[in-house]
Amino acid sequence: MSDFFTSLGVYIPIIWMLVKILAVFVGVMSLSAVLTWAERKGAALIQDRIGPNRAKIIGNIRLFGIFHLMGDGFKLIFKEDLVPLHVTRGLFWIAPLLAFVPAMMGFAIVPFGQSFEWHGHVLHMSVIDPGNGMGMLYPMAIASLAVYGILTASWASNNKWSMLSGMRGTANMISYEISFSLAVIAIFLQMGAYDPHEIIAAQSSMWNVVRQPLGFLLFFVCAFAETNRLPFDFAEGESEIVAGFLTEFSGMKLGFLWLSEYVHMVTVSALMVTLYFGGWQIPFVANPGPLLSFIAFALKLLFFCWMFIWVRWTLPRFRYDQLMFIGWKILLPIGFANLLFYAWLINKGVV
Amino acid sequence: MFLAFALITLGGAFALLIQRNAVQAGLCMMLSFFGMAGLFLLLANPVAAALQIIVYSGAITILFLFVVMLLQSHREEPSAHPRYIQKILSAALVIILALGAIKLVQSSKTLADIQAASPASDLITLEKLGERLFTDHLVALEAIGLLLLSAMIAAVVLIKKEA
Repeated sequence: MSDFFTSLGVYIPIIWMLVKILAVFVGVMSLSAVLTWAERKGAALIQDRIGPNRAKIIGNIRLFGIFHLMGDGFKLIFKEDLVPLHVTRGLFWIAPLLAFVPAMMGFAIVPFGQSFEWHGHVLHMSVIDPGNGMGMLYPMAIASLAVYGILTASWASNNKWSMLSGMRGTANMISYEISFSLAVIAIFLQMGAYDPHEIIAAQSSMWNVVRQPLGFLLFFVCAFAETNRLPFDFAEGESEIVAGFLTEFSGMKLGFLWLSEYVHMVTVSALMVTLYFGGWQIPFVANPGPLLSFIAFALKLLFFCWMFIWVRWTLPRFRYDQLMFIGWKILLPIGFANLLFYAWLINKGVV
Repeated sequence: MFLAFALITLGGAFALLIQRNAVQAGLCMMLSFFGMAGLFLLLANPVAAALQIIVYSGAITILFLFVVMLLQSHREEPSAHPRYIQKILSAALVIILALGAIKLVQSSKTLADIQAASPASDLITLEKLGERLFTDHLVALEAIGLLLLSAMIAAVVLIKKEA
């Protein structure tokens, strides 16, 4: 067996790349799908209900209603794919993809485990290998494209609710993107690096959340705005504008738009883990190895995904003017102050 | 790869021009900027590619679209007269200017220098970019900062009057 692997030789990096792409795609997709169930179950827990528990397969296996997930999937796929007459057809079809693809692409840079050597090749546990020169700029660039999904969906729907939602969602996302970037830049500054592998390596002694607590808070708040999750879900706002940009969508197109929200959540959680919680590192363990490091990363990731659900069912939605007030008059100055403070510290040679 | 990205860029730009609908034109512009980011990547400059997407695709185009959606003016108004002469004249002008631009680029000294130099092997990283900005182009950088600040203050003043 060992000879077989050695004989693969130069093909190992290519095979590993394919494995990584497949693993990340399948992993993130299935995690997002499970999160839709976790969301319903979590909402029930927080609201003191039982939640979905009726779906069962093979006789009487229920497993806390996890099969509702399959039920939802089948239902969405086999539903009539309704395209209203007044929509802009081409964009109406593209919009779910425009929402889904950026959410998925962002994860490509995240290292989900420690790099390891295998038959003479160093294999990295991130789809994009380190040293690409793009580093953490890549997820920021991709995140800035996520707005197009909502914008296109809302405009193509040609519906007043959708249009309102598109405007609100866009304003929300671009306002918070600035503070989001400022928080990340403060990390670049202190780490002296912007490659996620280097940022994680620099956190071996201390996690960034300890070094930059204010920056983390900023990032955390903006993450909710970026993913359009409550308390910032102005694009959906079901009690105000029907279902916002989702109003006209049905079938699997709606499924994709929903799923992209969860994929986005997973990606942002992964970024949070990478930037502030040491990525795959385990405290007091120098070299956890690929398997343990992956488990550590997955646990941290799951925790933050749960955090998103937790906050959604705990806090009410902000008012629109409050949103703008928080974004521009509180978070932005804090972001600049945070950045300047660390720049000053570095200049003084304290950190 | 170059051909693919160049086609995306040009196709996006061309679609932007013939598109009568302002929002769809904006999306075509995004496509064009995306292709341009790809071209930057091919030039071993991932930082420029990332910034291209963050700034142009992610912010400027979005703001255009936002304003277009806010004004609710999605359709270009049809012109009252066909205006054939203007169309022919502008087409001729575009061709002349394009040929002139190509000739200018091909005869420039920098292009010869680039062709003489070996293909860029080292990536331009954020560190290198920062160093260049704050040593070679410091004055320009400060000037741009002042310009943007004054533009921002002017915008605030203009809006204050309306309210």
